[in-house]
Amino acid sequence: MILVMGGAFQGKLRWAKEEYHLREGWIDGETCGMEEIWSCSGISRFHEYIKRALKLGVLTEEEEGDAFVRELYERNPRLVVVTNELGYGIVPIEPFDRLYRERTGRICTGIAAGAREVVRVVCGIGIKLKKAEEEKDD
Amino acid sequence: MMHLVTGGSGSGKSAYAEEQILKAPEKRRIYIATMLPFGEEGRLRVQRHRRMRRDKGFETVECYTNLSGLEIPEGCAVLLECVSNLTANEMYQEEGAGEKTFQAVTEGIRSLKKQAGTFVAVTNEVFSDGISYDASTMKYMETLGRINRELVREADRATEVVYGIPVSIKSDSALRGR
Repeated sequence: MILVMGGAFQGKLRWAKEEYHLREGWIDGETCGMEEIWSCSGISRFHEYIKRALKLGVLTEEEEGDAFVRELYERNPRLVVVTNELGYGIVPIEPFDRLYRERTGRICTGIAAGAREVVRVVCGIGIKLKKAEEEKDD
Repeated sequence: MMHLVTGGSGSGKSAYAEEQILKAPEKRRIYIATMLPFGEEGRLRVQRHRRMRRDKGFETVECYTNLSGLEIPEGCAVLLECVSNLTANEMYQEEGAGEKTFQAVTEGIRSLKKQAGTFVAVTNEVFSDGISYDASTMKYMETLGRINRELVREADRATEVVYGIPVSIKSDSALRGR
């Protein structure tokens, strides 16, 4: 998998589409069907997908998050995940906001651990924090 | 050797900081816990961190304020977690340093640096959500920002952990030469 993250409105999706020559097969984490994540090529606004899952009462436990990451690697190992980077602020007052921030961080850390590339996009420019050693067609 | 570790919430900075201590040459490991466990959520958080340290041979020392008064045995590997809680305690707790929070925290850390062998301090990035908070919270952010800047000066190494990936923001000159 590939993880592309960064602040809001940084041009993450655009960068990912160009860098990985991936024009088709994208879903939007805010509007997609929850099952579509297993078969799409790329998901944008992945943080919104997690938020929706939490509101449905799933992924609320750390172990569930870990299992979700494992399943994602098994069923859709070439997925490109585009997400906002959360967690760079004051601890939110609302318990749900804290849960959302925490779960998104842990899940993305899990994805990053196994990812071929991890990229942070700032001002439309991708900075590779973890780089594939060679371009392989895996 | 002092190493400052920073990052956002849920970024894996605690796990990374622990790894640094486990790699350290000192066999005796001390964990300085600063978080006052508020309510059920706080209790669970403390439990989570305790679980992570289980079987790693850490002795836990609780220190909520007045870090410079803390004495630790010589030549230990020390993990302080975390500066952002310590700062909040000094600012908001009755027994805290209040207006003198900056001095209390930075002096406390200098004192630990002197006593410890390998010393890893964990802090927090709380500055980028673009929200204007009440004056007291803004004061907290400003104080923690100043403390972080001072600690980076004090540290031999500083690392930002981004979703589990260490990004070096200050590297040891001895390491750089290798």
